[in-house]
Order: sequence, then structure tokens, then C-alpha cells
Amino acid sequence: MDIALLSLSSCLGCQMAFLSLEEYLYELIGENRVVYAPFLMDKKELDHADLALVEGTVRNTEHFLRAREIRERADRVVALGTCACFGGVQGLADLYPEPRLLRSRFGDTAFEGGPQGVRRLLPLDSFIRVDAYLPGCPPVPALIEKFLRAAVSGDRLSREGATVCAECAVTSPPLPQPGPRRLTEGSGEPGKCLLDSGFFCLGPLTRDGCGALCPSGMGVPCRGCRGPSGRVLERAGADVEAETVRRLARATGKKEEEIRAGVPDPVHTYYLFCLAEPLLRKRRSGGTSPYLHRLGE
Amino acid sequence: MNRVKGGERLAEGRRKGALRDMAHLVIGPLTRIFGHAYLRVEAEEGMSPGVRFSAFGYRGFEMMARGVHVDNLPPLVSRICGPDSLFHQAAACLAVEKALGMEAPPAARSLRELALWAQLFERHAVSLSVHGLPDLLFPSSDPGLRNLVSIYRVDEEVVRRLLSLKSLGTAVLRETGGSTVHGVNFRPGGVVRDLSAESRERLADRLRSGESLLLETARLVKLLLRRSEETVRRAGSIEGSFLAEHDPGGMGITGGGPALFTPGTEAEGPRPVEDLGERLREEPSSSGHVIYAGLEGTGALTVGPLARVNVNGRYGTPRADEELSELKETWGFPIRYPMVAHALRMLEMLHAWERMLELLREPSRGTLGETLNPGAGKAMVYIEAPEGGLVYGVELGEKGLVEKLSIVSPLQFNLRNLEKSLAEAFASVEKEGQERVSDVLHMVVRAYSPCVPCGVH
Repeated sequence: MDIALLSLSSCLGCQMAFLSLEEYLYELIGENRVVYAPFLMDKKELDHADLALVEGTVRNTEHFLRAREIRERADRVVALGTCACFGGVQGLADLYPEPRLLRSRFGDTAFEGGPQGVRRLLPLDSFIRVDAYLPGCPPVPALIEKFLRAAVSGDRLSREGATVCAECAVTSPPLPQPGPRRLTEGSGEPGKCLLDSGFFCLGPLTRDGCGALCPSGMGVPCRGCRGPSGRVLERAGADVEAETVRRLARATGKKEEEIRAGVPDPVHTYYLFCLAEPLLRKRRSGGTSPYLHRLGE
Repeated sequence: MNRVKGGERLAEGRRKGALRDMAHLVIGPLTRIFGHAYLRVEAEEGMSPGVRFSAFGYRGFEMMARGVHVDNLPPLVSRICGPDSLFHQAAACLAVEKALGMEAPPAARSLRELALWAQLFERHAVSLSVHGLPDLLFPSSDPGLRNLVSIYRVDEEVVRRLLSLKSLGTAVLRETGGSTVHGVNFRPGGVVRDLSAESRERLADRLRSGESLLLETARLVKLLLRRSEETVRRAGSIEGSFLAEHDPGGMGITGGGPALFTPGTEAEGPRPVEDLGERLREEPSSSGHVIYAGLEGTGALTVGPLARVNVNGRYGTPRADEELSELKETWGFPIRYPMVAHALRMLEMLHAWERMLELLREPSRGTLGETLNPGAGKAMVYIEAPEGGLVYGVELGEKGLVEKLSIVSPLQFNLRNLEKSLAEAFASVEKEGQERVSDVLHMVVRAYSPCVPCGVH
């Protein structure tokens, strides 16, 4: 199987995760599977690939043309990372119209032949057909390896769509707890559930597969970097903000209005990685089932 | 739903003003670099040709950060750049702390420094092994074959050894930050979790196991550069001043404050830049979304490995300084050849390795973080990212929300000199055909190791 790896508008984090595959990277290279990867090789254009891993978002016409070219030349396209799957942090740019963003940075500068910006920040599958999705910011190397091993042997992993909580090894503290609170006010008690401890932890609403490294391993609340869980995407009315507020009200013994009033940056707190996700705005064409069917990990 | 058609309209728009149509010669997309960019060679009759480094795709992080609670700032800015993620997080934390008139406790500063050295080590290892070294190892082979994938087919061991250097940095990053790429341990006011004594010991052992490989690779890079002397000189030399953090104790990342060094003024030594906010100037370029940056009254500036060594004169750790003295003998001092930055990256990895071992030996004492009291404030900080000065300015409102964020990245400082080096290199190979021109200009870009995602933040 010939594999291509490329970026659109991105931080290159997924490429760094790919480089962290260790032994499996050597296996891929040794079997001549990597045929196109501008980050690693000098090949300027892709001739053909069986599988193209595309990282990042489409921000301008040049990204769009590149994505379309890859779609034409690859048998299967994988949206690699949360930017490609849900818009990622870059999706926050959708808070502002593109001309305003550019004006804030460049004033009235006229660019010589620069590409034109897109009107809305949207996931990759709003621009080209995507065959499978591998979210994560970036996906942990073990997950990339698992995905690629399955793909190379012609399979696709199937996940039931559990949440980060399913992988989080913590116990619940006695309620109520102080909060809602953030890390800048101090850390939680090691080994205790951060959400029940009053922190803005999005674990119950976020897709699993990361091993719950942040809440379980580091004592850092989940910020949702793997994107919304299948249940959130599938179920009408399963809102990340509403559910988190409800759970924090339970944990702290406060009223939901009080919790809401204490969050001056709801977009950054609840939708840091998925503001551009059309399902959350109920505007992905064809409903949710085609997307969920293609979750390819 | 008509998204593809919408996309086609965009494509049409691009065709009307296509990048390729506007320049006399376009080289790109550039490969084996951090990000996506082109070079545009502009040759007017009777004028010496100019080369523009062109990268589009501004993402708007400064606007995205407006209204964010400071707790959400590190994970946000981390996504500007994966390879430099912790440097953005550290700069954001330091700017917020300075704006609030506080400082992270010593144990947190020590852990942050350890993680930053690990990321610098990892980033340099990728810059060298994946991007720069293949050109130096096989200068006369087809550029299409100069990459880890092709080299692996003929010599597995070389690739394994080069990438195992990256793995050393990644191992420290994973343990100190909780993740291989976007670490989660930094927060304004300190860090969240300490390293256990067992982790420290395990990481120190792992680092020590890489000692001979590190020294051998440092020698190899120096040897390869001497062998490529003609190419090194073709890429020209840098005129003007160097800007880097100055620390009398040796090369640091976050502690000393920026200073300027201008060759010819060795007797005066580096001049501290105390009024950074007032002197900082940005000027948009019509050829891309990377804005030129500089300091008022200094002309073109250089930041990064060359600037750090020229400003500080030494690294402050024994192994790195020993190797540096040999490099000074070969290339003179101050060092002005951009391509020598490959060797300096290797020496910085050695320095980072020595610093990481020192920091791992320091037992953690005291609290890991201070509670932040929200309030208004304004501050600007300068830190050393792997490819040079990274400036963060924040303005906080009464509730502790970010009202304004401004970022200046290393590529912005280096852009003028990068384009100057490219023009010099182009003039020296112009008559040797387009393939050769493309090959040499790619090498010059890789010597600067520009970070496009940081540049188009």
C-alpha cells in the first residue's frame, strides 16, 4: 500500500506524531510504503497513493486545490487529526469574517497573487469526500499505528464511540466540591475525577482513544482535543456546554445559571477544538449517519 | 448543500490571480522544511535579482485569543506550531505572569526549562536529520533521493541513529509534558505535575545512553560542513546585528532578556534591549503572510542559533563549549555563515542534553504553582524558541481575560536576511540551470530552518 502524508493549514503536530511512530515508522519506510510526504521528501507532486493522510484545514484556495488534487489521486483519503476532522483550534477563526482577520493583521496590504481565503472554516469533508477519520490533536502515535496497521491489511478499526471517561482511571471525590474552577486556581487531588472536583473537564463528551492521558496521567482536565464523542454528534440536543454545566452544577451543588455566569469564555472553554464542526451546528449535509459510519479508527 | 461548487469558485478565483503567474520564476512548494512555502525569484532588467519567501495562510491566533480566560491560553497558542508548541505555551504563561506582577515558583521554572530544552533538542534533531543532513551527506546525488526514506533503503543504521536522537528529546517531552507534541503541564502561574524521582532517574539514564551518538553526530556534521565549504560560502554571509537572549552564565531560554550584538563592536559586548516594546517594528510583505519584524534603528536582524552563539560567545556547558571552540577555529567568530547553523543546532543539542541532565539532577522543592488573582495588566516577554526570538505581548482586562495578544515569531525576524541569502545564492548559481538553482536555494532555506506555521500564526 502506497501512503501519502501532507498538510494543509496546520501546526504540523500530526506530522511530528507520525515521526514518533518509532519501530513502525521504520517498518513503513522499509516496505517503501511512504511515497509522498513533502515534510520528509523532495517529491513535489503526488502521482498516486492508495491512502492519503491529510492534516489541517482548508483556509484558502491553494489548500482547496491541493486537497482536491489529493482526492483525485488517492484511492482513500483520511482526515488526520482534529483540524481535518472537526476544524480543530483553527476553527476558532470562524468567530470572525476572513476579511476582518486579515485586516487586523495586514491592514490594507495588497498581496501579489496570493490565494483567496475561504468564507467559512469547515472540516475537510466539507470540501472533498473523506473516507475515514482519525481525530486527535495530534492522535497519539499508538493510535496512528493501530489505524495504519489495519488500513495496510485492508481493514478498518471499529470503535463503539466511548468517551475519555471510559479510559480514565480516577475515583469520585465526596460531593459537593468547590468550583467551578480552573488550573490557574490550583490543581485537583491526584487520582480524583476532575469534573466531580469542580473542573471544566470535557471527558464525558469527548471521543476516547487517547488513553485519558491528560486527566488520568497529568491531572489536567480534558479540553476535548479528540473532538466530540459519537453520542454528542449523533444525538440531537446533546450539547457540550449544557451537559458540562449540568454536571458541574451537580459536582459543586450550585445552580446551573451560576455556573454559566462564571464562564466568560464559553467558546474557548467548551468548543476549543470543534467550533467549526457542522454537526454541532446541525449543518452537515446528509445528517450524522454517513459521518459516524466512516469513523475509521 | 453545494460546498464543492463553492470550492470550485474559490479555485477559479485562485486561477485568476495565481501565485505561479505573478513571478518570473517560482520554486516550490518547498520540501523538507517545516511548513508550506514557495520562493519567487524576481529579476528586473538591469537590477540584481531578488528572491521572496512566500507563505500564505494566516490563521488569526491573535484574534482567536481575544476574550479567552488565561487558563485556556496555553492550549490555544500551543496549536500555532506542533514542533515549537511548548515555546508558545511558555511565552504565553510568562507574559500573563509578568502582566499580573508575579512569577512561577522555582520548581515550576526548572520543570518548564527541562521541557523546553527537550523540545529544542527534538526540533533540532528533526531539522537536522530529516531536513538538512541529507543534502550534506549526499550533495551530488539526485535531490529526489536525498531523504530518510531513500537513505533507509541503502543504510538502515544511519536513519535509525539519526531518528533515535529525536526520540531522546521526545522521551523527555512525553514525561514532562504528558504528551509527545502538545504538552499539557504548563499553566500560567506554574506547572501542574512534577516528575517523580523514578522518572528523573529513568530519563537521565536514557539521555546518558545517547552520549556517544550525540558526540559522533556533532563531529559528523562539522566534517560534512567542512566538506561542503563551497556551498556554505555560496549561501553568503550575514551582515548586520544579531538578537538573542543574553545570559552571562551561558546560553539560556527564558531568563536573561534580549541583547543586540553587532560585529565590530566586540569590545562593547552585547547591548541589552530594555525597550523592546517601543522598538519593535513590523512591516507587512506583499509577497506573503509572514510579516517582516525588526527593531527600530538596527536594520536587518538575525535570530536563532547563530545569534545565540554570537551574543553569548559560549554555551556554558563543557561538552558544547569544547565543540564550539573547534567550530570557531574553522569558521571564525562571530559566525556569519547561515549554513553553519546546521552545526550550531547540533551543538545546541549537546548543550540542551547537558542542561537536561543538570536539571534532572535537581530535586524538586516547594510548590509547583501559584494561584492567579485575576486583574488587569500588560506585558511583553522575549524568549528563545529553537529558531530564535519569540515575542509575546498580552493585555489583560479586569476579569483576567485576554483583551489583546501580539506575537512575533523567529521567521519574522529572519525573513529579510533569509531573502538576502537566497538572492546571493541565486546570483552565484543562476547560470547553472533551474534544477541546480532550486537545489541550492532549498539548501539555503533549510539552513535557516524557518517555521512557517509560526510565521503565519
